[in-house]
Amino acid sequence: MKKILRTYLPFVANEVKTQLAYRGAFYLWAFISLFSSFISYFLWMAIYGSSESGVIGNLTQNEMVVYIFMVYITSSLVSISVSTWVGYDVVEGRVAMNLIKPIDYRASLIAQALGDMLYHLVVPSVFIWIGIEIYKVFVLGMPVISLPTLILYICSVLMSFLLYVLFDFCFGMLAFFTTYIFGLRMAKSALLSFLTGQLIPISLFPEVAQRIFDCLPFSSMIYTPVMIYLGKYTGAELAWAMGRQFVWVLLLYWGGSLIWKQVTKRLVVLGG
Amino acid sequence: MVHNLKRYWRLYKVLIKQFLKVVMQSKVDFLMGLLGFFLTQATGIIFLYLIFQQIPTLQGWTLDQLIFIYGFAQIPRGIDHLLTDNIWLVAWRMVVNGQFDRYMLRPMNVFFQVIAEKLQPDALGEILIGSILVIISVQKGVAAITPVSVLLFVVSMLAGALIYTSIKLFFASFALWIKQSGPLLQVAYEMAEFAKYPTEIYHKGIQFIITWVIPFAFVAYLPASFFLGKTGAGVIGIECVIALVFWCVAYGVFNYGLKFYESAGN
Repeated sequence: MKKILRTYLPFVANEVKTQLAYRGAFYLWAFISLFSSFISYFLWMAIYGSSESGVIGNLTQNEMVVYIFMVYITSSLVSISVSTWVGYDVVEGRVAMNLIKPIDYRASLIAQALGDMLYHLVVPSVFIWIGIEIYKVFVLGMPVISLPTLILYICSVLMSFLLYVLFDFCFGMLAFFTTYIFGLRMAKSALLSFLTGQLIPISLFPEVAQRIFDCLPFSSMIYTPVMIYLGKYTGAELAWAMGRQFVWVLLLYWGGSLIWKQVTKRLVVLGG
Repeated sequence: MVHNLKRYWRLYKVLIKQFLKVVMQSKVDFLMGLLGFFLTQATGIIFLYLIFQQIPTLQGWTLDQLIFIYGFAQIPRGIDHLLTDNIWLVAWRMVVNGQFDRYMLRPMNVFFQVIAEKLQPDALGEILIGSILVIISVQKGVAAITPVSVLLFVVSMLAGALIYTSIKLFFASFALWIKQSGPLLQVAYEMAEFAKYPTEIYHKGIQFIITWVIPFAFVAYLPASFFLGKTGAGVIGIECVIALVFWCVAYGVFNYGLKFYESAGN
C-alpha cells in the first residue's frame, strides 16, 4: 500500500501543479458550464410557473434549484476526461513509453484525474457549494444540509469519480482504432448528459426508460449522488443505490483491464 | 470591381476544391462529426418533449412552437459554421503561432483568405436537423406558408448567419492586439444557447444583453416569433439592420486591427 502511494502520489501532485499553471482553460470551462446551469435554472422556473401541480418528477421547485447547481458541482468533480489524455498519448506515441515503465498506465491516469478532482474541489466547487447552502437557507427557507447526508454524498461522489474515470478509460481505448475522436467525444457527451441525469432528472423519464437506465452505469455517475444530497434516498433504497455504484466500479475496473490487455496485444508503435 | 469579384470567386472555388479533397479522404471522420451533432440536437428535443409531458404550455408556448424556434436557431448557426469556421482558429492560435503572417503577405483581402481556407462539413448536421425540425413543426401548422413568408424566412436565415459571423469576427479581431482571444470568443458564442428558448423566461438583464449587446435573440427567437404569428414583420427588418450594423463594426475593427498586427514570430 505504501509503495503504491509512493509511486502514484507524484502523479496527483503533478496534475495539481499543471492545473495551477494552466488555469485559464479551466476557468473558461467552469464559467461556460455555469452559463448552462443558469439557462436550466430560468427554464425550470418557467416550467414550474406553467405547471399546476408544483411537483415535477418528485422534485419541488426549490429542490429543483438545488438539483441544477448540485449537478454542476458534482459533474465538475466527477467528469474528468481521461480519454482525452489517452488520445494524446496514443497520437504522440507516448503510450509506448508508458508500457515500458514499471507502473500501471491506468493507475497513473486515475492518480492524475484525482489531482484534477482535488483542484476542481477548491475552484470553484466549494465556493459554489457554500453559495448554494446560503441561498437554500436564507432565500428558499430549506434546512441546512445535515452532516450524515453530507458524508454520504462525499462517499457517493468518490465512487462516481472512479466510475466515470474507469468508464472513460474504456472509451479512450477507441483512440487506438480511430484518429478522429472529436466526433465520438461529442456523441459521448451528448449521450452522457442524458443518461447521467445531468440535463434532466431521471425521474422525469417514462417508467420503461427508467428501468433501462437502472441497468446501466450512467445514472450512478451524477444522478445518484445528487439525489443522496437532496435526501431522496433512505434506508434500503440508499443502500441499494450506493451498492449499485460499488458494483459498477468493480465491473468497469475488470472490463477495463480486459480491454487494455486486448489492445496492447495488437498495438504496433511507430516511433515515439 | 466586377473583374475583382470574378477573380475572388474563381479563387474561392479553387481553394474549396482543395479542401473538399481533404474531406473526402476521411469520410469516417465526417460521419462521426455528423453523428455527434445529431445526438447533441436530439437530446435537446427529447428534453423539451419530456418537459411537455408535465405541462400543457410553457408560458403560452406549445411544444410545436418551441421545436420551431429550436430548429430555426440551428440553420443560421449552421450556415455561419459551414462557411466561416476558420475564424475560430484566428482567435485561438493563428496569431500566436505566426500562421497569420501568410495572410498579410498575399495581395488579397485578408478576411476573404481566412474564410476561404476552410469549410466545416460538420455544420451540415446542424443545417439538416434545423431544417427537419422546422419542416416537422410547420407541417403541424405552427406557421403559415406563403410566398412572402418563405422569402422572409430566407432573408432572416442569411441575416442571422451574418450576425453570427459578425460576432465571431468582432471577438476574434482582438487577437490581433492581444494575440489570443479564443476565451472571449467562446464566452460570447455560448451566449447563443440562451436564444434557443423564448427570451421572456430570463431575467431582464439577460434579456437586454442577448437582444442588444450580443444580439443572438435576433438570430432565433425574435424572427421565429414573427413566423409563429406573435409579432409583426418589422422584426425581420430590424434583424437585417442589426446584421448590417454589426457586420460593419466587426469588419471595421478587424481591418483596424490589421494595421496594428505584429507578427508573433514563427
